[in-house]
Amino acid sequence: MSTLTKLPEVLAPAGSLDKLKIAVLYGANAVYVGGQKFGLRTAAENFTLDELKEGMTFAHDRGAKVYVVLNSFLHDKDLAELPEFVKYLEEIGTDAVIVSDLGVVKSVREFSTIQIHISTQASTLNVQSALLWKKAGATRIVLGREVSVKEAGKIKREAQIEIEMFIHGSMCMAYSGHCVISNFTQGRDSNRGGCAHSCRFEYSIDGLDTLEKKKAFFMSSKDLEGLRVLPAFIEEGIDSLKIEGRMKSHLYAGTMSKVYSEALKFYADHGHFLSDDMAKWEAELGKVSHRTYTQANLVEKAGANSIFNERENSVEGDWEVVGNVIDAGPKMGIVIEVRNAFNQGDELEIIPFTGDVIKVTASEIMDITMKPVTRTRPTTLARLPYVKGVESMHLIRQRVKE
Amino acid sequence: MKITSYARTLHELSILKDQGYTEVILEPKSLARFGKLSNDEFLGLANRAKELGLRVLLEWDILMTEDVFMSKITDIKTLFPHADALRVQDPGALYWAVENTDKPLQFIAENGNHNLKALQGWIELASGRMERIILSIELAKTTIDEYVKTLKVPCELLGFGRILLFYTPRPLLSALVPEKIAVNQEYAAIGESEESPHKGFPLVENQHGTFMFHIKEFCLVEYAHELKAMGLSYFRIDQRFETSFLDEISTLVKKFDPTHFEAFKENYHQDLMRGFYFVNKTDVLFPKLKNTRLQKREGDYVGEVLEVMKGSHLAIMVKNPRGLTKTDILKILHPKGEIFETKIYSLKNLELEDVTSIPQGKVALIQFFDGIWPKSQVFYI
Repeated sequence: MSTLTKLPEVLAPAGSLDKLKIAVLYGANAVYVGGQKFGLRTAAENFTLDELKEGMTFAHDRGAKVYVVLNSFLHDKDLAELPEFVKYLEEIGTDAVIVSDLGVVKSVREFSTIQIHISTQASTLNVQSALLWKKAGATRIVLGREVSVKEAGKIKREAQIEIEMFIHGSMCMAYSGHCVISNFTQGRDSNRGGCAHSCRFEYSIDGLDTLEKKKAFFMSSKDLEGLRVLPAFIEEGIDSLKIEGRMKSHLYAGTMSKVYSEALKFYADHGHFLSDDMAKWEAELGKVSHRTYTQANLVEKAGANSIFNERENSVEGDWEVVGNVIDAGPKMGIVIEVRNAFNQGDELEIIPFTGDVIKVTASEIMDITMKPVTRTRPTTLARLPYVKGVESMHLIRQRVKE
Repeated sequence: MKITSYARTLHELSILKDQGYTEVILEPKSLARFGKLSNDEFLGLANRAKELGLRVLLEWDILMTEDVFMSKITDIKTLFPHADALRVQDPGALYWAVENTDKPLQFIAENGNHNLKALQGWIELASGRMERIILSIELAKTTIDEYVKTLKVPCELLGFGRILLFYTPRPLLSALVPEKIAVNQEYAAIGESEESPHKGFPLVENQHGTFMFHIKEFCLVEYAHELKAMGLSYFRIDQRFETSFLDEISTLVKKFDPTHFEAFKENYHQDLMRGFYFVNKTDVLFPKLKNTRLQKREGDYVGEVLEVMKGSHLAIMVKNPRGLTKTDILKILHPKGEIFETKIYSLKNLELEDVTSIPQGKVALIQFFDGIWPKSQVFYI
């Protein structure tokens, strides 16, 4: 790889402190998190003030950055509460805040010197828009998901500002920030964290050039997956590759961070992606629950084949998380916080922070009192015999049983 | 307070003139979301509007990725000289217009922009060229009142018309038609969701994407006098999808007659709503979206119960840097809200050794306590 080529950062979602730690340990260069207010994931666990501070220290100690989302479209009464929080964020060393509302941009600038990233929620789509946000004080733009990588490169070059793009995850079908279905039909402000995901519903469509009503999930988008677009992201000098999904699982946060960071590391070492590992990385992405993947607008404009015309329960991914390692050692064995039950004899995969998975057979399972058991239950702890290399916070998965 | 509206034909222009309008919004097909006018048609209507003494407002409200943006520059350079002001929604269009033109600008701040600071920010970014701000219809009247009185530029508000709920550049309706008849053909349809009590969402697909509207139309006609008293400068009537009522609605806005209004509502093809005009409470349901008892983790928070083994132990993940010591007294908050208090009689680590303390990040096994569930939150007393 040319020494002049700067690789993009892998920016992972962290819906909780545990997920932050998992994302960082699995290779994310940066994470984005939400406090108890001002973000767009009201239903997520989110971070308390103490957890923000702890998460910041954990990430910084390992060379990772933390961005805090303030990307709601705030009403005046919400905005009045913002300065105190912004000052706290600066005090604990927040690397940047992610903002979509011009009023929030102004407030952050007024009360801190924290760097400002413009959220995808602002639907920044072109050079001129990037220039406007730069003038307003932004240091980075998270582009709208309608922008191609090639367009993004032009925006970066001409606006001379850092560019972040989504590489993976669920997608709004609408221009982000331009959907108010929940506001008017459910009384929940989608742009303040109350999105009811009405775009995932099935609709009957009447009045098209067909005689019968058409039933379709016509507003639901397939999920973004940009692994094979990585060369283009690098070529265009994109600064940050964002993985959507603060509401998603520990397994998701860990797998995505690991796959994309390992792929970029391969590029850093070899200067290309011509690797048998590409198929392995793709397989890993397929093991996490997802809607059918699409490259959406990354290469060419998303068309009819980017619609996920299926029910939400028809997501793909034939692996599930078993749990995560709470602690491990020769004497205590591998202690697992069980999230999905597994039985004696099941084949499990322990995912290390780097490198290939460790396959184990659950031949001996014990409960926490060292009593042998033949099956486990969710929300319990279980022990497996110790395997060298297994550490606290490693994720464990198994193939979904028929 | 003046009324403003759109025109697509000479007939509509004449209605506006007869109703005393002082301006008209014209929408070129290539620049406006619901534009119907070719560039030639735009120029023809713009000239006629000027002959009638109407100011011409050019609507450029599509959102544009970079390639699309570049493809519109020629059109805007051709058309804007024939208009008196430009209306934009894409921030990039605003920036471009500030840098490359010298006529008045109007910013459509209907999407979000629910705080005064944001609106003032848009005005500042227009470098003295902002002649109007178009406010969001999600604002309640007390807020509209405050903004109209505080902002240093005139404000406009939709007073009658469809409520746009959803805008995507993707072609979603043509995807449902087996054989596409022509590129850029427009589609209109009605949608109903099995998971929502609302039925009959108007849908439109055109060259700019797919749009969904609310089943009811927005109507503040009966509150026009209030808006006028507040100092609102422009009340917009949008009859782009059903033009035959433009004359009647204009009359009602200028001189409200309750009897006439009731008769009008009977005849009108859509139900009407005032949206959030009285109050916007779209955040009151948020506390119900999650169990706040699982979220209390500030202050004296110790950690979370990971396992409850009857007759044996509670396993607690210690998250506080202070750790857990045998002398601590604990308050345990059940996910259903019950609160339990206990001393620690037994404290073991995961190697089942009796210990006097457990550090942060490790699991503590304390004695079993009846009534506790996993996910209960633990605090120091």
